[in-house]
Amino acid sequence: MSRWLATGVLLVLMAGFGFSVYQLLASQKRVDTGVVAPTRTSTVTIPGTLYLAQGGSLYAFQRGRFGRLTAAGGWMQPALSPDGTQLVAVKRGFNYSDLYLLDTAGHVQQQLTHNSATRVESNHWAFFPRFSADGQSIFYSYDPKDPSNTYRVDLAIFALSPGGNGRQWTHPNLYTGGDVTPVPLKGGALVFAKSSIDPKGAVHTQVWIQARAGSAGLGLTAPEDDCGQPALAADGSALAMVCRHGGPTADIEVAALDAANFQLGQPAVVVPAGLNAAPAFSPDGRTLAYFAPQGPGGSFQLWTVALPVAGQPASPAVPPTPRQITHDLAFDTSAGPAWV
Amino acid sequence: MPEFDPRGRPGAAPRRRRASALRPRLLPPLSLVVLGFTVAALLGAGAYFLPLLQITASTAVSSGNVPNPVVNPADTKPFTVLLLGSDDDSKFAADRVLTQSMILLRVDPGTKSATLLSIPRDLWVSIPGQRGKAKIDTAYEQGGARGAIAAVESNFQVHVDDYVWIGLQGLIHLIDRMGGVNVTVTNPVMDDFYPADVNTSNPYGYYRVAALPGATHMDGVQALQYVRSRHGDLRGDFARSERQQQVLLALKTQAKSLTVADLPQVASAFNGEIKTSIGVDRVRALLAIVSEFGGANIKQVLLLPPYTSAATVGGQDVILPDWNQILPLVHQSFP
Repeated sequence: MSRWLATGVLLVLMAGFGFSVYQLLASQKRVDTGVVAPTRTSTVTIPGTLYLAQGGSLYAFQRGRFGRLTAAGGWMQPALSPDGTQLVAVKRGFNYSDLYLLDTAGHVQQQLTHNSATRVESNHWAFFPRFSADGQSIFYSYDPKDPSNTYRVDLAIFALSPGGNGRQWTHPNLYTGGDVTPVPLKGGALVFAKSSIDPKGAVHTQVWIQARAGSAGLGLTAPEDDCGQPALAADGSALAMVCRHGGPTADIEVAALDAANFQLGQPAVVVPAGLNAAPAFSPDGRTLAYFAPQGPGGSFQLWTVALPVAGQPASPAVPPTPRQITHDLAFDTSAGPAWV
Repeated sequence: MPEFDPRGRPGAAPRRRRASALRPRLLPPLSLVVLGFTVAALLGAGAYFLPLLQITASTAVSSGNVPNPVVNPADTKPFTVLLLGSDDDSKFAADRVLTQSMILLRVDPGTKSATLLSIPRDLWVSIPGQRGKAKIDTAYEQGGARGAIAAVESNFQVHVDDYVWIGLQGLIHLIDRMGGVNVTVTNPVMDDFYPADVNTSNPYGYYRVAALPGATHMDGVQALQYVRSRHGDLRGDFARSERQQQVLLALKTQAKSLTVADLPQVASAFNGEIKTSIGVDRVRALLAIVSEFGGANIKQVLLLPPYTSAATVGGQDVILPDWNQILPLVHQSFP
């Protein structure tokens, strides 16, 4: 009887050992497809509050902790009103997306657009909402339909006033995907990213500026610099942008903005080439927040980089050292965080 | 005083002998125990690598008569692979599908360089075994991988060593198993008529796609949308060829972080949705050197005008090749 018992114990131990080998091998996997909820993590403290999106939810990041503002439901691209009391954000559905006003606790106050339709191609997109400097209107990218060709879907930038319809501000280059990331300036002009395709078939993006709705505007950056995702410092003195220079990766660059004369100063690289996305200035203009992977092929995390002089890097030749703020999260990188 | 022993011997000695005598009766021999634990470890490892063993078996079957040279992992000879992608949804009979994507890949392990050449699916060419001319994407439909290889070899005057074919679900699963891919979307990729042919009861349906610009992480479904969308882009099929190359290179980056322990999870994506003549040895050898490829050592080629021109032949929209310009370009990289 004792012998059978001992043999049984040994067999159980052997089975356990085999299972442990399986588990040990599984633990050596580097591919991790899981996304951790931000509310289950805590990290270093950075000044102020950042609003950002992950997995269809909006979050507020404050004092090193994340608070969830909305349940998962396609929420993305939050932007703050100038007085900091309201958020405008996108809620993306299957074939459409709409803009909503929310309070800073994440409660929906108003649905601003109604873009869903029964026929697939009759739906509309609304992306990249931003309040105007006076808070009276909201700029966003929208796909007006082309009656002569249903295949054409180019985003144009519209401005939505309270109680009114959207007014088209920009006219995108045909079949390029269009104009995105509007950044309204205090003087009433608009900065945004404009796509074009050159005769050789290469795609370019430029940071563009327009004085008023429907005007031609001009490029603040050259086509070959492939700069997009512009972000404005709170005092309006500098622009941050992501520049590909024709390559598969991009620098984050900062340049002084002369909004009165529609001129951009010499850009300085503050984050060297990588899969960098969606910069945003801190309220005091001393820090940039942006998204980048935590390793090759990894999910996108929140990073910051210090700008010693407000809006300007310390030395164009030596980019400052970026600091990874979060780990194992996976943020929506289509728009920069709103930082107040 | 020694304990009394009925057999007339001191008590301590029999107790020692009894204890040592019990051990072999209660426990199996040490060698058997070691063997048992070894077998348990092998079974645990075997269970873990089972998907890989299964795909190894199916790869051997699917390679058929296509050349599949035995490769020494240390081999540094350059080789050419034809990458094929098909819409294999329920609209089509199994393995009677067009190749929506055809990419010739030349890998030179010695110089750590690679060239990607996208072949337009509508390229109007002679197909071996068929009369007249046809779109090159019909070669696989008519003759499988051998047919596609023959069409590419005869028209482009190159030698193809191996092929990889992947279906819609295969690409989704492969990318998901690799943890997704990171790409930089250069401009908004918009398509109001994207085919709703995966996991659907109506493969003729469609839905809207909007891939927004900037660096982003894509899962398998998003990446498939990104490489298939074409209706809203001025460059049509050429634009998505460029995006296909971009995702391939992103997968290469993703592969840098793979270990042997990741291979079963990746292999489980295959399940008949990926067919190849490449042996596991070559895959393993490629994985070992993939991190050394990059940047300027990877050349991407699209056959945009003037190498090709759009035309209508017999009511079909086709791409006409200018072989006088294409062949010198191709032979810079492909023997």
